[in-house]
Amino acid sequence: MAFLKRYLIPRLIQYVLVVWLGITVVFLIPRLTPNDPVMAMIGMIRARGSTLEPGSMDGIIADLTEMYGLQGSWLDQYWAFWGRLFRGDFGVSFFQFPARVSDLIANAMPWTLGLLLTTTAISWVVGNIIGGLAGYYTRKGWSRTLDAIAMVVRPLPYYIFAFALLLLLAGFMRWFPITGGASLGAIPSFTWAYIKDVLWHAFLPALSLVVLGGAVNFQIMKLLVQNVNAESFVQYAKLGGVTEGRIVRKYVIRNALLPQITGLALSLGQIFSGALITEIVYGYPGLGMLLYNSIVRADYNLIMGITIFSIVGITTAILIVDLAYPLFDPRVRYY
Amino acid sequence: MSRILSRRDFLKALAASASGALLAACGATSTTQPTAQPVEIEVTRVVAGTPVVERIVVTAVPEPTRVPEAVADVLGTFPRRETLIVRQLTGRVGTPDNMNLWVGWKWQDRGLQNLADEPLWSVDFATGNIINGLAEGDPKYSPDFTSLTIPLRKGVAWNDGTPFTAADVVYTIETHIKHSGLNGHTFFVDNVDTVTAPDDHTVVFKLKQPNSRFHTTFLDRWGCTRIMPRHIFEKEADPVQFTFNPYVGCGPYKLHSYDPQGFWTAWVKRDDWDKSPTGMMYGEPQPRYIIIQAFDNEGAQILAQLTHQLDVAELSADGLKALLAQSKTSRAYQPTFPFVVNNDPCITGILFNTARPPFDNVDVRWALTLAIDIVEYTSIAVDSSGTLSPVHVPHLGPYPKDYIAPMQDWLKEFTIDIGNGETFAVYDPDAPKRVAEYARSRGYVFPDTPEFQAQAFGLGWYKYAPDVAARLLEKNGFKRDANGKWLLPDGKPWKIGFVCGTTLTNHDARNAAAAVQQWKKFGIDAEVLAIADNDGLQATGDFDVSGNWPAQEPWGAGPDLYRVLDRWNSAYKRPVGERTQGIYSRWSSDEMDAIIKDLRETDPFNAEKTIEIGIAGLKEAVKNMPGIPTYGYIGFVGWDEYYWTNWPGSENAYCQPYTHWPNFKYFTPFLKSTGA
Repeated sequence: MAFLKRYLIPRLIQYVLVVWLGITVVFLIPRLTPNDPVMAMIGMIRARGSTLEPGSMDGIIADLTEMYGLQGSWLDQYWAFWGRLFRGDFGVSFFQFPARVSDLIANAMPWTLGLLLTTTAISWVVGNIIGGLAGYYTRKGWSRTLDAIAMVVRPLPYYIFAFALLLLLAGFMRWFPITGGASLGAIPSFTWAYIKDVLWHAFLPALSLVVLGGAVNFQIMKLLVQNVNAESFVQYAKLGGVTEGRIVRKYVIRNALLPQITGLALSLGQIFSGALITEIVYGYPGLGMLLYNSIVRADYNLIMGITIFSIVGITTAILIVDLAYPLFDPRVRYY
Repeated sequence: MSRILSRRDFLKALAASASGALLAACGATSTTQPTAQPVEIEVTRVVAGTPVVERIVVTAVPEPTRVPEAVADVLGTFPRRETLIVRQLTGRVGTPDNMNLWVGWKWQDRGLQNLADEPLWSVDFATGNIINGLAEGDPKYSPDFTSLTIPLRKGVAWNDGTPFTAADVVYTIETHIKHSGLNGHTFFVDNVDTVTAPDDHTVVFKLKQPNSRFHTTFLDRWGCTRIMPRHIFEKEADPVQFTFNPYVGCGPYKLHSYDPQGFWTAWVKRDDWDKSPTGMMYGEPQPRYIIIQAFDNEGAQILAQLTHQLDVAELSADGLKALLAQSKTSRAYQPTFPFVVNNDPCITGILFNTARPPFDNVDVRWALTLAIDIVEYTSIAVDSSGTLSPVHVPHLGPYPKDYIAPMQDWLKEFTIDIGNGETFAVYDPDAPKRVAEYARSRGYVFPDTPEFQAQAFGLGWYKYAPDVAARLLEKNGFKRDANGKWLLPDGKPWKIGFVCGTTLTNHDARNAAAAVQQWKKFGIDAEVLAIADNDGLQATGDFDVSGNWPAQEPWGAGPDLYRVLDRWNSAYKRPVGERTQGIYSRWSSDEMDAIIKDLRETDPFNAEKTIEIGIAGLKEAVKNMPGIPTYGYIGFVGWDEYYWTNWPGSENAYCQPYTHWPNFKYFTPFLKSTGA
């Protein structure tokens, strides 16, 4: 009961407040920018050379405003928005009218989740294991070599690194496709051929994310392990005759891993924002481009739809880490 | 027997659950649901059932890319030698399963307008002709322009075999009037009284007020009012929500399949292509399949064409250079410098906000024009590859013959008042020659004939006269400070913010960079303001100068300049702060209003009279210079000749050259397969 009263209930209230505040801010910010969805649509149609009769412009603006549900004050729109949200309805996309926001997100989400969950997990596991070992065995040749590679790879701008991979492995070696999430003509189906094709297209985007993400995890973990290794309890264990393997696994890496668990949770929460540059370089489907286009085109409902996932994702991840921390670190207790 | 779950046991269980969830999420990547498309399913069977052909060429990802054979066999395959792959201009389709282009924005260059649809008429800016599509000829207006009759082409069928008739046209208009969610709703409500079909191939409109250009709403110039297939739409309760998938049009191609993520749309030639206006006019389209593919970055486009996975690329100036330098089979629109497509019907340049001082002063506008050295300007903007135009229409199609050449004498004699009773003749007919000489001095090689010079660089522009520009400013109270920087009449430093978009390879940004450099050299504190929503700022008048087109784009075919001049109509002007309905310069004049009225009351098919009024309108625009025309829009197209040849290049300009334009379908019968 003490846990409930002192920690869980206040923490849940805080969680709800953060989510409400985040969603409210996201509701307001697009409306404070000079972008206007009706004008964005008219501008797009005009920019592409289509004729919009000047004399009919007022009527067109009125029709679009009504169609997008943008009549009334911001407060009216705000209440209508929460009403829809509680019914699980994000509304329609303005720019991609009359497509529903939920359909657009559902179409892009599996690609983003598939790519980013996998690459985040791989780069975290591999980066931390190798980084942990390299941090303990700092004087070994392989540790220094890996450190040197990480020092070179990590500062590379992601766009340059990703495009270099594309140029080398798709353009020059021709081992991988240049663009897309699947081959031209590939119709989605739950067949091994299609899955193989999707994996083949995902390989380069995934490689770019794993290498750079892995290098970051490697370097952080290496430094953490070096710090833990200098702690007196590790020295005591060594003097006490504890085997080296046990010291590495049970004493050093496990203790160094704690901040990395928080980092992993935050990374997983951020997945819902997509990977914009990866999507641009590799022509890969996902939420990043959808979010970017929605911002550029003042597609309020779509911005809201995607960012709600992101807000809820990150706050939930933090909540889960907070609640689960005693499981990873027995020294932490909430009661 | 029960035991308490330890912390470690819980963590193990958690790890196992997380692994399972991760695998499930990875699986989700491949669980995108198939989109049920009767058309695509049928055609896919046909493809798979042609084993000999199918085994010859690999897939849409062509040789020599290593495609696993099993994948190639199972995933929809396109025999490469029968397939044309072109880049989609407007990028990835946001709503791939919705093809209802009467509602909102639907990425119509994914093949809807350029392969599957047939409008009543199209403009072809390469030849200067208006092409009859579903219409059999020109519309006939009543003398007072309150009614018109449109004759329709006979023997046309929709791609599902249903005959096209006048009832489809009538249905389209009546549906637009009924439903406010359709893009053309307001226009038809405002203009159409009745629309009837006296027979299957004639449509008669009665208008609510005289409108001599009513028919141009059906004239396809990268967009128009398209005709709906009545037999499809009338079954739908709400045409606004209807997804119209698969698209049914009268064009020579029909939908084969598309990527649910919007990266590509594949089209297949109709078996009854001879029932499309394209087939009737030009014969059988040659590619059996056409795939329109979106690329999110230029590098991927170049790589795709270098590996023969993309037949038509559209690039930046630097991208085209890189492609031509590396590819043995790629060509540009022009075989020699300047390589570019220089016949797009847009004039680029500089647009002044004439509602904001000091740009409300014509002397200031002319001073800024004469402060530009056009040789340096086009070198900075487009590496000297632009075709100059001194008037507010581009140098292409019918405009040099109908307007720019006949205006040469007037332009040479045109003078401006520079104070103290002196005048200055602003025109420089040798400007194109100077641009050509500069390009040649930089090592570019191209024909040295007057014809080529006129076609590539234009007939003239304005003098570089900074001293005259200074006199014009001084005449209006401007002064220079001790550092030679210009001060406004009130003594404050003169700063110009030049607004453009954030895509710096676009022509608004290219003009911005060049103009700002020239004006800085002249002593004005000018800067480029690259702003994403610059259209909104311009529409409401919150800017100094922009890189928007200095005049509304002309049709690109036929002599009528109504589309250009009417945007300067004072009736469309709105106060600063409100979205204006005309051109963003917010300039108008009583003289221009009278010219527009005169043109409105003139039969657009009376070429002689139309040109006469058009010239008067262009003269009025030059005198007032509300925007500076610089060079015609140029595009950077790369055609791969590995699989397909006979592209409509400058030496053989039988059709406009862009695959995103609606007329793309008209050049598909002329493409030749290399048999590679």
